[in-house]
Amino acid sequence: MKKFFTSALFKGLVWQVIGFFIGAGLVTGIRALMGLSTTDTFFFTEPAWVLGAFFGAISFLVGCGVTDDWIKWARGIETHDEHEEHWTGWEKYVNVSLDHKVIGIQYTLISLALIAIGGTFALIFRAELAASQLQFLTTEFQIFGQNGPQLYNTLMSLHGIVMIISILLGVSGIINYAVPLLIGAADMSFPRLNAFSYWIAVPAAITLISSLFLGGFDTGWTGYPPLSARAPVGMQMFFMGVFIAGWSSILGALNVVVTVLRMRAKGMTAMKMPIFVWAGLATSIIAMTATQFIGLAFQLVMFQRLFDMGFFDPSKGGNPVLFQHLFWFYSHPAVYVFILPGLGVISELLPVFVRKPLYGYRWIAMSSIGIALVGFVVWAHHMFTSGMNEYLRVPFMYSTLLVSVPTGVKFFSWVATMWKGKISTPTPMLFVLGAIVVFLMGGLSGPPHATVSTDLHLHDTYFVVGHFHDTIFGGFVFPFFAAIYYWFPKATGRRMNEFWGKVHFWLMTPSFFVVTFGMMYVGLLGMRRRIADYDPALGIDTSQLIITIAAFCIALSVLIFFINFFYSIKNGEKAEGNVWESRSPEWQVPSPMSLHNYPTPIEVVGEPYDYGLKDAPYTRFAPASKGKGKH
Amino acid sequence: MSHSQNKSAALMQGVIIFVYLTVLTILEYYVAVLFDAVPLLIIVAIAKAALVLYYFMHIYKLNETDHDENPDSYAFKTITNRLGLWLFLLSDSFVFAGLLVMRSNLLGLTRPELNQALGLGVTAVLLISSFFMNRGELQMAHGDVKGFMRNTAITFILGLGFLLGVVLLEWQIAAHEGLTADFGNPVTGPVGGVFYMMTGMHAFHVFTGLIFLAVVWNNARKGLYTAEKHWGVEAAAVYWHFVDLVWIFFYPALYLIGTAVAAH
Repeated sequence: MKKFFTSALFKGLVWQVIGFFIGAGLVTGIRALMGLSTTDTFFFTEPAWVLGAFFGAISFLVGCGVTDDWIKWARGIETHDEHEEHWTGWEKYVNVSLDHKVIGIQYTLISLALIAIGGTFALIFRAELAASQLQFLTTEFQIFGQNGPQLYNTLMSLHGIVMIISILLGVSGIINYAVPLLIGAADMSFPRLNAFSYWIAVPAAITLISSLFLGGFDTGWTGYPPLSARAPVGMQMFFMGVFIAGWSSILGALNVVVTVLRMRAKGMTAMKMPIFVWAGLATSIIAMTATQFIGLAFQLVMFQRLFDMGFFDPSKGGNPVLFQHLFWFYSHPAVYVFILPGLGVISELLPVFVRKPLYGYRWIAMSSIGIALVGFVVWAHHMFTSGMNEYLRVPFMYSTLLVSVPTGVKFFSWVATMWKGKISTPTPMLFVLGAIVVFLMGGLSGPPHATVSTDLHLHDTYFVVGHFHDTIFGGFVFPFFAAIYYWFPKATGRRMNEFWGKVHFWLMTPSFFVVTFGMMYVGLLGMRRRIADYDPALGIDTSQLIITIAAFCIALSVLIFFINFFYSIKNGEKAEGNVWESRSPEWQVPSPMSLHNYPTPIEVVGEPYDYGLKDAPYTRFAPASKGKGKH
Repeated sequence: MSHSQNKSAALMQGVIIFVYLTVLTILEYYVAVLFDAVPLLIIVAIAKAALVLYYFMHIYKLNETDHDENPDSYAFKTITNRLGLWLFLLSDSFVFAGLLVMRSNLLGLTRPELNQALGLGVTAVLLISSFFMNRGELQMAHGDVKGFMRNTAITFILGLGFLLGVVLLEWQIAAHEGLTADFGNPVTGPVGGVFYMMTGMHAFHVFTGLIFLAVVWNNARKGLYTAEKHWGVEAAAVYWHFVDLVWIFFYPALYLIGTAVAAH
């Protein structure tokens, strides 16, 4: 326990609180001097909460120690690169480490924590939705300054954004852990920046979730003004939390791009990289650029609230649709940030479990880049009903339908890869196959939204909700689980339990289909998004109940996964070799990986996916005599 | 060619580029006043940007390849650092692009009524600061630490001048003229808010640039940089020029393009 109180995490948290009070105190003091009000519903005024949250985040980062080296460099003091890990065991994960493998696991752990939190929110409001009319989230019910329906709106909104942040962090986790290993590097190009990008997530998540206790917010995760300009203080914590989390995305992505361009092993040309690296690169190009737009959009609403700068207030000459353009210019490419890594995991793992080369490597590599680029010009398909110029609907419909082409390329490649392969189905492969089927459902339910004539009827119904849960689970959640089951032995030297892994899969997958097809079904029958109550006359009560039960089944399967995960760290079956008989470089050294990954640098001497070919290695360890290896 | 001939040739090039930039700025101003031709203003801005990107920010250095395969060498790390810095600038430019999108969506072909002399003045100050920054970086590249410190100090003072010119002078005058940040003025509506938001975000970057300059100036004073090893200097200089680059687009967007909307 004492070890926790000396950890960077604890120190950061303490400093976050201190920083918060300094910021809030500063604003309150200035307001007092200006003769303005100094208190409000939640003690501090809104501007005080905002500056407090901002100072708190910066204070966390400085206080936890992740900026120490940079501060030293600014003062002209040299630092030395670490060659030893200071901590062992669980302490590694609550302290600042520059090792990308530790950081990757830290990202994964916080992602899993947020999945649990966001999922719990969903279970609560799904319980309410199980029958028409309000059951327990009634207007009489009061908590955290909200009545039942207001709490419903907050839970529904937070479910969305907490899950989205968990996806961004999970994506960072897989990419951080795997990419340096896959390219034969000792670490990322900028290890301190990497650590910094992770640690930002902690104050960001805290700020975001604090919204629940500050009156919540009712806009859904998209935070559109004018409604978001009027929502309670919790709205600002949402904006601030996402804004801070955005820095993590941007800086982390920048690191990945530089690493992939600069740190590849000898002989690893672009077309000989493991395919996941292409996925990571495409993802990072998006995250590094587009994210700035949501930062700007949110900053503008925050200023509208704080300083009355009516950017989106029509009565003052502002334009609410401008927010939507700025917001979706990021948020659409963001969904490709969510799914490109997962689709990369599928492409990476399939050859291993079908013992055949990846079909159409170049096409798949280019399709990741293609999706990333086309993904930038489709954003207004979220705005067909917004009141924007009608003529804009047509080009965006075409561009949106176009993005299914590179996506389709991946599907054809996966099928061709599996064709006549020697398929084995340990748990990682089950999740890969599940991902393909689930993502297919997501992809097929997409074009009705891309097509303007049908979208006008589907927009804001549960059909959309079914569509994006399919794409998100297929493109991220299933591959995330696949990646964890797959690389767990690499990280720990042990396997997760195979039986319970299968239970997780077989409980989650059918339940998940019930949930998403159920949502599409009730959506077509008139169930709107983002409402706590619905008309019994719609006749969807039974369907809603079934969806809720299935959602609880998914939750149970995830709980089983958590238990399996944490139990197997110390008690799993030992697995120190090449468990999956993969050709990938990281599996050619024993598990767990040592600190700087490859004791001898690797060189690429063949193709990555020549499974089944005799005498066709992919990598070898560099011959001893060459130059200056690592100490 | 001798070492010092290289240096004076490089310094002279800096002067010539600065002269081009000055001419283009004057041209820009008169094109705006006389013709109000938006495409022409955009072309001039792009030309200025290209000059700054190529000659001051030496973007072509991104093309340099590694002579030394050793990933621990200073040369290798510098190329990596340079790539990281440019990607950061690419990312940051999306913020400013978004602000320009906001400006055109909310204001269209109108603009705030601003003091043109002051606008030209602060623009000149920033451009001149870039000139001295370039000089300073070249001094350092040729081992003249004292020269670097002198020119960087001038850059700092000019940058501070820009900041004060915008925040203390321009903002006060604009507010006095009725250009308010809240969109409350029925005549100007969004014009004020857009103006303060754009100049504010830019000013924030000038401010962080000044901090960066102070840090490298101080470290130079401690003797930490040499002609061969001065990545911090290069980074600070490139960042400073980037701040100037943004203004190359923000100046016409706020001062020159469109019909002025007076607050009363």
